[in-house]
Amino acid sequence: MDEITPVTPVRDRDDARWGRFARGREAVLSSDHPYLWFLPVVILLLFIGIYPLIYNVYNSFREFNPMTGAVEPVGLENWARLLRDDRVRGALGTTAIYVAAALIVEFVLGLMIATLLNGGPWASGLWQALLILPMVVPPTVAAVMFEVLENADYGALSWLLKQIGLFNPAEPLLGGTGRYAMVAVLIPEIWQWTPFFILILLAGLKALPSEPLEASQVDGATGWQTFWLVTLPMLRPMIAIAVLFRLVDLLKVFDYIYVMTSGGPGVKTEVLSFYAYQRSFATIEWGYGSVLGIAILVLAIVVANLYTRVFKIQW
Amino acid sequence: MAHPTAISDRTSQVAPAAGARRRRGGRFPWARLARTIVSAAVAIIFCLPILWWALAAIKPTQEILSVPPKLFGFDPTLNWFRVVLGNADPTRFNVETTGSVGRGSGGGTFFSLFYLLDSFIIGAVSTLLVLVLATPAAYALSRFRMRRRKDFAFWILSQRMMPPIVAAFPLFIMFRDLGWIDTYHGLILVHAAMNAPLATLLLMSFFDEVPRDLDEAAMVDGATRFGAFFTVVLRYVRGGLAATAVLAFVFSWNEFLLSLVLTTGNIRTVPVASSTFTTAFATEWGYLAALGTASMVPIFVFILLVQRHLVRGLTLGAVK
Repeated sequence: MDEITPVTPVRDRDDARWGRFARGREAVLSSDHPYLWFLPVVILLLFIGIYPLIYNVYNSFREFNPMTGAVEPVGLENWARLLRDDRVRGALGTTAIYVAAALIVEFVLGLMIATLLNGGPWASGLWQALLILPMVVPPTVAAVMFEVLENADYGALSWLLKQIGLFNPAEPLLGGTGRYAMVAVLIPEIWQWTPFFILILLAGLKALPSEPLEASQVDGATGWQTFWLVTLPMLRPMIAIAVLFRLVDLLKVFDYIYVMTSGGPGVKTEVLSFYAYQRSFATIEWGYGSVLGIAILVLAIVVANLYTRVFKIQW
Repeated sequence: MAHPTAISDRTSQVAPAAGARRRRGGRFPWARLARTIVSAAVAIIFCLPILWWALAAIKPTQEILSVPPKLFGFDPTLNWFRVVLGNADPTRFNVETTGSVGRGSGGGTFFSLFYLLDSFIIGAVSTLLVLVLATPAAYALSRFRMRRRKDFAFWILSQRMMPPIVAAFPLFIMFRDLGWIDTYHGLILVHAAMNAPLATLLLMSFFDEVPRDLDEAAMVDGATRFGAFFTVVLRYVRGGLAATAVLAFVFSWNEFLLSLVLTTGNIRTVPVASSTFTTAFATEWGYLAALGTASMVPIFVFILLVQRHLVRGLTLGAVK
């Protein structure tokens, strides 16, 4: 990616052409300075974002005491607890599996379908609109839907699996020993969020300039070569952003697990966000819940940073 | 493959069979037909759960959970819709179909037309707001050379990292003190802030694809930086704006936890209303499916309208 267009030459040229406006254009309140462009969104983000952050940091040094019914300062106790909590380590592993599985499947499927739709089938607009529909179902409702669809006795999905002989009555999707509990929560997840990649990647594919693609065809590249060597590299910034945002959202996944398994059986599907909920609202350990919330935030910052470095994302 | 007509064809960019759209030769475009069939199959598979859901909204109670699910051969009923959208009295239907008064006899419990309206207002206004606020920032991130630009972009991203489950309570305290509980502007601002990081960074990558010569050319012609952005560059990120609008609307439409915590019932979004149909004792499948199906219609129309703009962007050659 080329470097950002320097602002200065433009201003120099303007100085020559319209000398008397030059001073005005140097002012901070000019559209040649970046600050004014950022101001609205920064105000919005600070306004909504800063208090929850401060509150949770403050709260992480306090804890609700059920004996006295008061919230008392506990110093670093909550943070020390984070380091020796086995359930946090378990939840971290569960989150990692969930995030990796969901991200890979959703991205690969999304890219394949976006490429297919971009290939110009008839009525592509209709297929595209239909494929976005799963995303429109609120995740809490989708979770309830799939809880029924996956039910061993009256679920349509279980029935389908029975028809093709993949259904083991001892180990249904939901229930049994919970061997497939992770698969069970990943099904609605993938169903709902593959369309996220379809939408972004398709918009990206359509926005690509056509010359390099035509050039590669003139040079005799096959469809596969064009796709791997020309289309994909050009689509990279869009892929980077889409994967990054899905990654950030996946790290705080909550709805499906809350509705479908409540982290169970045992702690088999307990992800970090759900564990934070458990501590905050089930066992009323607000301070520790805040610690877990900040831990998720820090984890997301670290993972997103690593991701941008490993894949050399150009911002 | 390097046939002249194939080269100028937009389908050629990924498809091996680029000549598929050649009409004049009279050859039937088999490759295109194949792609259409696969697309339709994929779309139908993805929509099966929604079909099941939409059918449940017109099935009588005893048919909703029948296995195998019936596509035909049931007595279609509009009772669920009549109660959810038309405020009909559910008690009467219960007596007619089951012979007892049954659940949901509270009156108005399932009437959700105004919740659909609430969801729509909050979704539409917050989407508009986030586009207005984030587009200039995205443009600036894409165009200006500034110190700590990456850090700034990362800060914006980080605003989406706090799990709602721990942000909800402090936001509730803040909104209570501001007197913003149960207000449209409160939820609109929260949803706009939730979508701002995605909108900013997504639009930034769309601006990155528009050649910088374009801004330069406009400014040589006497436009200010803002003029170049507003009158020239903006129209080339139409596709990006459309995709961002769809995503922002969908995220706002689906958001559950914050909408639940920051309202007490005067304003209620669809996910929050849906959650009241499910209790520990029973789930009102018919009402839930009717509301879910009804709530999909406006978004489906919105997507169909918006996706006209998901068109090809500018080609590099146009500015050279």
